[in-house]
Amino acid sequence: MTAPSLTLTDKARPRRASRPLDERLLFGACVLVPVVALVLFFLLPLATIVWRSFTEEAGGIGVANYLALFRTPGILRATGNSLLVGTATTAVCLVLGFAVAYAAQRTRVSGKRFVAAALSLPLLAPSLVLGLGLIFLLGRNGLVSNLLGIRLNIYGFPGLLIANVLYALPQAVLIIQAALRQSDARYYDAAEVMGATRLQQFLGITLPNVRFGLLSAGFVVFTVTITDFGNAVTIGGDFSVLATEIYNQVTGQMKFGIGAAVGILLLLPTGIAVYIERVAAQRQFGTASESALPPVPDRLPMRDIPLFLVTMTLALSITAVVATVVFASVVRLWPYRLDFTTKHYSITLSGGYDPLWTSLGVSAATAGIGTVLLFALVLGLRRMPPGLAKAVYLLAVLPVGVPGLVLGLSYIFAFNLAGTPLHMLYGTALLLALCNFYHYHTQGFLTMVTGMRAVPAALEEAAGCLGGGVLRVLGDVVVPVMIPTLLSVFFFLFMRSMVTLSAIIFLVSPSTNLAAVTVMRLDEAGFVSQAAAFSTCIMAAVAAAALAMRGALALAGRRKAA
Amino acid sequence: MVEFAGIEFCGKSLAAGTFLIAAAAMPAMAQAGSVTVYTALEEDEIADYVAAAKKDLPDIDLKVLRLSTGDLGARMLAEAANPQHDVIWGWAVTNMLDPRVMALVEPYAAKGGDALPAAYKDAGGRWFAATGYMAAFCVNTELLKAKNLPVPASWKDLANPVYKGEVVMPNPVSSGTGYLQIAAILQGQGNEKGWQFLKTLDGNVAQYIKSGSKPCKSARSGEYAIGTSLAFAAIKSVEEGFPIKMVIPTDGAGYELEASALMKTSKNKTDAKRFLDWTLSPAAATLYTKYKEIVTIPGAPVAKAAQEAGLPADLQKVLYPMDFAKSATERDAILQTWQGSIGR
Repeated sequence: MTAPSLTLTDKARPRRASRPLDERLLFGACVLVPVVALVLFFLLPLATIVWRSFTEEAGGIGVANYLALFRTPGILRATGNSLLVGTATTAVCLVLGFAVAYAAQRTRVSGKRFVAAALSLPLLAPSLVLGLGLIFLLGRNGLVSNLLGIRLNIYGFPGLLIANVLYALPQAVLIIQAALRQSDARYYDAAEVMGATRLQQFLGITLPNVRFGLLSAGFVVFTVTITDFGNAVTIGGDFSVLATEIYNQVTGQMKFGIGAAVGILLLLPTGIAVYIERVAAQRQFGTASESALPPVPDRLPMRDIPLFLVTMTLALSITAVVATVVFASVVRLWPYRLDFTTKHYSITLSGGYDPLWTSLGVSAATAGIGTVLLFALVLGLRRMPPGLAKAVYLLAVLPVGVPGLVLGLSYIFAFNLAGTPLHMLYGTALLLALCNFYHYHTQGFLTMVTGMRAVPAALEEAAGCLGGGVLRVLGDVVVPVMIPTLLSVFFFLFMRSMVTLSAIIFLVSPSTNLAAVTVMRLDEAGFVSQAAAFSTCIMAAVAAAALAMRGALALAGRRKAA
Repeated sequence: MVEFAGIEFCGKSLAAGTFLIAAAAMPAMAQAGSVTVYTALEEDEIADYVAAAKKDLPDIDLKVLRLSTGDLGARMLAEAANPQHDVIWGWAVTNMLDPRVMALVEPYAAKGGDALPAAYKDAGGRWFAATGYMAAFCVNTELLKAKNLPVPASWKDLANPVYKGEVVMPNPVSSGTGYLQIAAILQGQGNEKGWQFLKTLDGNVAQYIKSGSKPCKSARSGEYAIGTSLAFAAIKSVEEGFPIKMVIPTDGAGYELEASALMKTSKNKTDAKRFLDWTLSPAAATLYTKYKEIVTIPGAPVAKAAQEAGLPADLQKVLYPMDFAKSATERDAILQTWQGSIGR
């Protein structure tokens, strides 16, 4: 798959090659490579799950697994619970996500950097940290309970809602922010001249402009919420959701059939994507104009003070959850003996700190490969015939509907086949990186599509007409506009890849140990403080890596300008 | 910096991608002298055992993958078309007895296996168990003191209404530990009385947590007063200094054997067998007693954990003689009933 594409791009590299061929080859590669990869590393594994869901325990082929699922006691209640918690999480995340993204992109509210940093915490914190943090803070013996002298009960719907919002909100902000990033100040000026109030401008210009971003974000939040069972297991108490049925069946009872059937059913809501795709195909006004003037963020106390309060409260709450766990990692015995110690940081079990370095490598690969493939795919999508584009689009947004556990098992089914060329990848770090990328493919893809909508087509054409080769157009027009989006996708993939666990526990080999797995093992072996300490190190490493990369990029940018 | 080259132009990073594939795609093949072991034993004990095994078998390159019982089962069955491991080491016998797993292993009479009592090995030689673990309550003594409640000694005590809302149990549908606890109660009291008792107990249960060790963690962090869990988790919590007391219920502590087996598909059976022999060796037996409540190898010293738990030297006195074959075959039916009558 890679060998032919390599020769294609080698030929495409000389900049002044005959343009049509140059262009065709480049976009051919941009379409072919990501689509083939998507088919190989997502569609093929998914097909094995579909097959499993129809493979009956007795050996035949049929719908027995689906029937058995509907006969499982309590399954209807679990489905209802899933829809309830999914809808609630989506509503909360859209409102809060929009507030955060709007404050960041369109206002001069202070503390933006802090809010942005706090919001990346749930992305780079192992899920153990969020679960522990919530219990340490809001549990029956948590800080808040002890302060108030009551025993709060967060287990169940409230806990699950909070945990899901923590997990999904940064992903919503990622997408909504890409939608708000570009706009045209002239629309607002015109509205101002015509006497439209601020509210009218907001409702008539801003909201319609981010409709696609909001829809995509809502779609992602709803889907990750109903497919996740990590939070349900940790803090959901007896509030059962549909996704936990996968856990019950596969981990609890070693049964793939019904688990696979649940996995397929959980894909149904991704059907909403058909509608979102239709919105995506519509031309958006107000952005992507070649002479657009970026709106200048202004001050408006009526709007800014409430926004400041909301975003700060949110950022402080998230920080408090994570900080509690960091604090617990440096005390002797939370919550009984709070004297300072660093002893939990001397970790020798499961390879000590070595897995951290492996994880950094795997995550850099995930983010690098992922960002490039997504960028190529989104570029290629613009030039595909509409029918094909639609199919590719739907395939690209499907991965978010697949729970990590299902994805991990599907990789075993698809790649652990002796005698097939793909088996070569089995047990390698590269397959881990690919699995992590496709696990979060949808979020990256939708962010990229949202960001790409802002690239002015006319400018692209103009650059093309003036004799700029296609690479020139890419380099001078598309990439500069896309840089913030490319970076946010890169860091999103990097951070998630450092800590995601549900898929890769089925793919790690004895010789590839990953940091997230170490955290799980320490926790399972009863060393919770050490698991918290290791998590703190992961978060510190990710933050340091992100800062270093941003620093290097800023330096490179300055040198280029000089 | 692969990624930044990539942002500028998608071609460059394709080259980088190819390099990555070439660098990373070294097939993980079993070489002569290397043995891949899948295990569900605990992280810290594994480190100790493996260090000793490597010393005793210096020519074997031992590669160990540790996953929890449930995850490991899912992984092994998913890999069944092309197993990656040579040996299963220390994995719940209830799971091992699954016919799909039994089809993957081959009989091997490990050295030292004939000395094991019949209850701890397969009549057909397909598995043997050198160790085991048992159910236990993790009781938060500080919380009980604050509430002025006595420490429970048995399942029957736990059903006393004074503990209402302070008991957490593992959910048997998602947790093997949860299943072994109710299987022991059902086998010990008989079906009719057993189910009746579980329903009474249900009135006191605040939450059915989805993993076997979490109830103990809930108890030790003071979320709930009593978590029904595993002795291992309780001992660990006591060692770490939590105000936890381990209680082995006097009316039937469920237990589980940790079984080992040789894979049919092993490409290095000679060394795999030598490793299995080692797991029954006197050296290994002595090490097990550092961590395990149940060591089945005759002549092994009384386990430290068992002493601390106040267990008699002859474990058979407190362990209800579990019928593992029965609890494996009845699992589906029991879980159905549990979900219908108790599950929330």
